[in-house]
Amino acid sequence: MKHWWKILSVLLVLYSLTVGMLVPLKTGIAEVSPLNTTTGEDVTLIIQGYNTNFGDAKGQIRAWLKVDKELSLLAKSFKVKSDNLMTATFSIPDKLPGGAKVKDATLILDSEVDGSSVLPSALFISQKNTASEFDVAEWSRSPIANLHEKDGMSFPYRNVLSETIRNLFYHVPLWFGMMIILVVSAVYSGRYLRTKNEEFDFKASAFTKVGILYGILGLVTGAIWAKHTWGAYWSWDVKQNMAAISVLIYVAYFVLRSSFDDPEKQARISAVYNIFAFAALIPLLFVIPRLTDSLHPGNGGNPGFGGEDLDNTMRMVFYPAIIGFTLLGVWMANLIYRSEIIENKLLNRW
Amino acid sequence: MNLIQEIGFLLKKEILIEWRQKYAISGILLYVLSTIYVVYVSFIQVDPKVWNALFWIIILFASTNAIAKSFIQESSHRQLYYYSLANPIAIIISKILYNSLILLVLCVLCYTFFGLVAGNPVKDSFQFFTALFLGSVGFSITFTFISAISAKANNSATLMAILSFPVIIPILLTLIKLSANALRLMQDTSINKDIMILVAIDLILVALAFILFPYLWRD
Amino acid sequence: MKRITSITFLLTLLSVTPILAQIENPDFMQSIGKIYVVVASIVATFIGIVLFLIFIERRLSKLENQINDK
Repeated sequence: MKHWWKILSVLLVLYSLTVGMLVPLKTGIAEVSPLNTTTGEDVTLIIQGYNTNFGDAKGQIRAWLKVDKELSLLAKSFKVKSDNLMTATFSIPDKLPGGAKVKDATLILDSEVDGSSVLPSALFISQKNTASEFDVAEWSRSPIANLHEKDGMSFPYRNVLSETIRNLFYHVPLWFGMMIILVVSAVYSGRYLRTKNEEFDFKASAFTKVGILYGILGLVTGAIWAKHTWGAYWSWDVKQNMAAISVLIYVAYFVLRSSFDDPEKQARISAVYNIFAFAALIPLLFVIPRLTDSLHPGNGGNPGFGGEDLDNTMRMVFYPAIIGFTLLGVWMANLIYRSEIIENKLLNRW
Repeated sequence: MNLIQEIGFLLKKEILIEWRQKYAISGILLYVLSTIYVVYVSFIQVDPKVWNALFWIIILFASTNAIAKSFIQESSHRQLYYYSLANPIAIIISKILYNSLILLVLCVLCYTFFGLVAGNPVKDSFQFFTALFLGSVGFSITFTFISAISAKANNSATLMAILSFPVIIPILLTLIKLSANALRLMQDTSINKDIMILVAIDLILVALAFILFPYLWRD
Repeated sequence: MKRITSITFLLTLLSVTPILAQIENPDFMQSIGKIYVVVASIVATFIGIVLFLIFIERRLSKLENQINDK
C-alpha cells in the first residue's frame, strides 16, 4: 500500500471534522446581570447558562461568589426559570476582605447534572461606608467543596469564544501545516543546489504553492474568527501582519521564478531565494510575535499557547488535525509535482 | 593570495570605482536631502513618533537605491573576470562591507540633516547609534544579497523591491522598536534582548549569504 | 473541458456569496454560541482546497491537450 498516507490524511481530517464538531462544550455561564453591587445588600443575579440543564438539576444547584483563594459566599436561594436561565440571591456581608474599595468576584455554579462552571469577574462589589468590622466567618461559612465533573468528552467553555473554540482544529493546523510544508520546500531547494537534480526544484516549487494556499486559508479563517471574537476582520495584530508578510515573501518567490527564461537559471536562483527567504521567515513568525503584545493567546512573553485554553480532550483532536492537514497538503503538492514532471518531459521530447 | 588580502583589494576597488563615478553617491545624497526637505515642508513640526517612522523609511528607501546597483553596475563580462580572479566569498564579503560602510555614512548624514531640519528627539545617543550600526549592517547584508539575486533576472529594479521588502521587515520592525526606546517613546527593560535578536538575524543572514552566494554567480 | 472548469469555478463563487452575505448578518453568526463562525471557517478552507484542485485540473488538461495535439 503506497497510498496509505493519503488515506490516513483523509481519515485524520474527517476525524477532526466529526469529533471536533460533535463533542459538546462544557457547561458555562454566558451572561450575568447586574454587574455591580455594594456591600451589605442582597443581590439577585440573573444567570444565563450555556449548555446547561437547570431544570433537571433544580434541587442540587449550588452557587458561590469567590473573592479570593479562601473566601467565598454561598447563595441563599435559587429560582430556575428555564434550562438556561436562573436567578441566585446572595447576601453580601458589610465589609470587604482586606479593606478593599472594590473587589471582583468569580461566580461558580455546580450541580451533579451539569458539572461545575466558572465565570471570572462576574460581579464587582464596592464597599459602602459603614463602621462595621470585617468578619471572616461571614465570608467563609460554606467553602467551595465537592465540585462535580460532567461525564463524557467535552471541550472547555470560554466566554468570548464559546463554540468557536473548535476553530482551533480548523485554523491553527493550517499554520502548522504551512510551516512544515515550507520547511520541506526549503530542504528540497537545498538538495537541488547540492545535486542539480531538477526534480528537487519541481518539488520545492510545488510545496511552496501549497504553503501559499495554506497561508491564505489561514488568513481567511483567522479573519472570520477574528471578526466574531475580536470585533474586526483585520485588527493589525502582530501575528496577522507577520502572516500576511510571509505569504507575500512566497508570492515574491513565484514572481522571481516567472522572470527567467532559462530553466536551469530559474531553478538555481529561485532555490537560493527560497532558502534565504525561509531564514528571514523564522524571526517573522517565531521571534517578533513573542516580543510584542498580541490578541493571540500565548504571546507577549509566554511560550506558545496551552494551559487553560488547550486541555487534553482538545489535544486529542488538535494533533491529529495537524497531521491530517499536513499530509493533505503533501498530497496536493505531490499532484502538482507530478504534473510538472510530465510537462517537463513533454517539453524535452520536442 | 589569502582571503583577507583579497577582501582588502576588492574593497579598495569598490571605493575607487565609487570615487571615480561620483554621480551614484551624490545622487543618493541628493535623494536623502530632498526627501528630508519634503518632510520638513509638509510637516514643519515633527512629532517624535512620526520622526522615528519617517527616519527609518527614508533610510530604507535610500539604502535600496544605494545598494540596488551594486551588482548591476558592472557588466557581466567584467564580473566574470572578477570571479575568475577572486574567491566568490571574498566578493560578497567585500560588497557587504562596502555597502555597510556607505549605509553607515548615509545613516549618520541623514540623522544630522534630519536633526537639523526636524529637531533631534534622541534621548539615548548610544542606543540610537547601536540601532544605526546594526541597522546598516542588516540592511546591507539583505539588500546586497537580494540585489545579487535580482541582478540575474530580467527586470531587476522592480524585482529588487518585491523581493527585498518582505525580507527586510523583521529587521525594520526591531530597529524601529529599538530606536523608539532610544527616543524614550517607550520604556523597555528587555532592550538587550532586541539587540541580541538583531545580531542573531544579521549573523544568520550573513552565514546564509556566504553559503548561498557561490551558487548564485555561476552562469 | 475548459468550459466545465469555468462553470465549476462560477458555481463555487455563487455558493460563496450567500455565505458571505450571512457573515455580514451578525445575529445569525452570533447564534448558537457562534457555531457558524466555525462552519464558515470550514467552508472557506473547503472552497480554498477546491479552487486549488481546479488549478491542478486545468494544468492537467493543458498537458492532455499538448499530448493530443502531437
